[in-house]
Amino acid sequence: MRKIFLKELKMNLKALLIWSLSVGGMGLACILLYRTMEGDMKEMAEAFSHMGSFSDAFGMSTLSIATIKGFFATEVGAVHGLGGSMFAALMGVGMLSKEEELHTGEFLFSFPVSRKKIISAKALCIAVMIILFTLISAGLYVCGFALLGEKLPAGEFVTYMGMQLIMDLEIAGICFAISSIFAKTKTGLALGTSLMCYAYDIIGRVVPDVKQYLFIGPFSYSNASDIFSGAEIQGKAIAFGITVTILSIVFAYICYDKRDLSS
Amino acid sequence: MNNVIEIEHLTKSYGKNRGIIDVSLKVKAGDIFGFLGPNGAGKSTTIRSMMGFLKTDSGSIRILGMDSVNDHEKIMANIGYMPSEAWFYDSMKVSEVIAYAADIRGLDCREEAEKLCERLKVNTNKKIRELSYGNKKKVSIVCAMQHKPKLFIFDEPTGGLDPLMQRSFFELITEYVDKGATCLLSTHVLSEVNKYCRSAAIMREGRLTMLDSPDIDDDEFLKFYEDTEEEA
Repeated sequence: MRKIFLKELKMNLKALLIWSLSVGGMGLACILLYRTMEGDMKEMAEAFSHMGSFSDAFGMSTLSIATIKGFFATEVGAVHGLGGSMFAALMGVGMLSKEEELHTGEFLFSFPVSRKKIISAKALCIAVMIILFTLISAGLYVCGFALLGEKLPAGEFVTYMGMQLIMDLEIAGICFAISSIFAKTKTGLALGTSLMCYAYDIIGRVVPDVKQYLFIGPFSYSNASDIFSGAEIQGKAIAFGITVTILSIVFAYICYDKRDLSS
Repeated sequence: MNNVIEIEHLTKSYGKNRGIIDVSLKVKAGDIFGFLGPNGAGKSTTIRSMMGFLKTDSGSIRILGMDSVNDHEKIMANIGYMPSEAWFYDSMKVSEVIAYAADIRGLDCREEAEKLCERLKVNTNKKIRELSYGNKKKVSIVCAMQHKPKLFIFDEPTGGLDPLMQRSFFELITEYVDKGATCLLSTHVLSEVNKYCRSAAIMREGRLTMLDSPDIDDDEFLKFYEDTEEEA
């Protein structure tokens, strides 16, 4: 199992570096842009905070984008949230199905390793990749604050990155379950899942009838504006997210262990 | 233990499509067993069921005296398998694939792998993506043999190999079998069965018929194919 885990890590290292440096780099660029935009930001922040549902949806009614904290939450929050969820979705959706799609399954499954152990090694690899992605991105954001000479709101930042990690694990878990069903990698379905979750959160913050069901979506508990404005984190949403993650992984074990593998 | 493979009344279907029907088969220790049959007859389905890639509908498979479902890992530790199409991770080098196949079994097979690579003229420095179909097959042979398993299962092993490599391949099989291994190989090539196999069976339309002897002539052999084509 250890060998399979290490091989997967090695094979996905390039994707990890590309995604983490791209998303983290974009976040870093956003942070560095703050200084040049700081002067014009006050009037803009005032205007943005009075745009009704739009302001609510993007968190600009609770945080001022004229402050580094508000700017980070609204700008970098969107970049990291979307980028991270897409990375997690792609990692999850290809991890099992690629063996059949690339016809390497017969090689892998002819070893004295049970399917359950193979699933475990691959699931562990996804988790480690997402943790590394979060750490690299977080490191770049911290560098951004340091380069600007701004004080990092450490408590909120750690909470935000932690919640993003849980969210990415949830999305990866859902896509891992999808991966266990199909012999072809469903990239479109994975990216669609990620974007649908994001869209659901935006809609949920604008449409009053959906608001009470907002906790179903993984973006609800990891929303940067909520965290950086000090709003109470919904335990219900986190519990729901963790439950979905566990159920998705259990589903992947059951489904993949029971089905025929194509050659 | 006399029988290395014992298959009893194995049936596997793919939804409404036929796979194999009530297949029973015994392969004795030390045998080189030829598994003949036209395309789509069910040879690969039988082999893939033995390997645990397919979940069967009914029947049982015992390999090396162990149940193929409950003792899957133990069985796999003693099998050298070569699929009909050899696929590996493209980004890896040949040497990495061979080392990976040994590592995952927790064995140090360097000496045997080196010997096999020399015999089969495998260039271990190349990347998998640079290899031809035949050269990938040779890597597959090394991966299947380097851990000196008790049972070899080969699905159409010689396709893509040049005549010289085909001869080396069968020489290696004979050597391992002489040392106590058993081999089951599926093939379309009658001459391979006549020359190397000690017993044989033929599959047609998902059903298996044991042959009295592997020494069958071309006409008798082709009758199985002709009948299948006529029925189709």
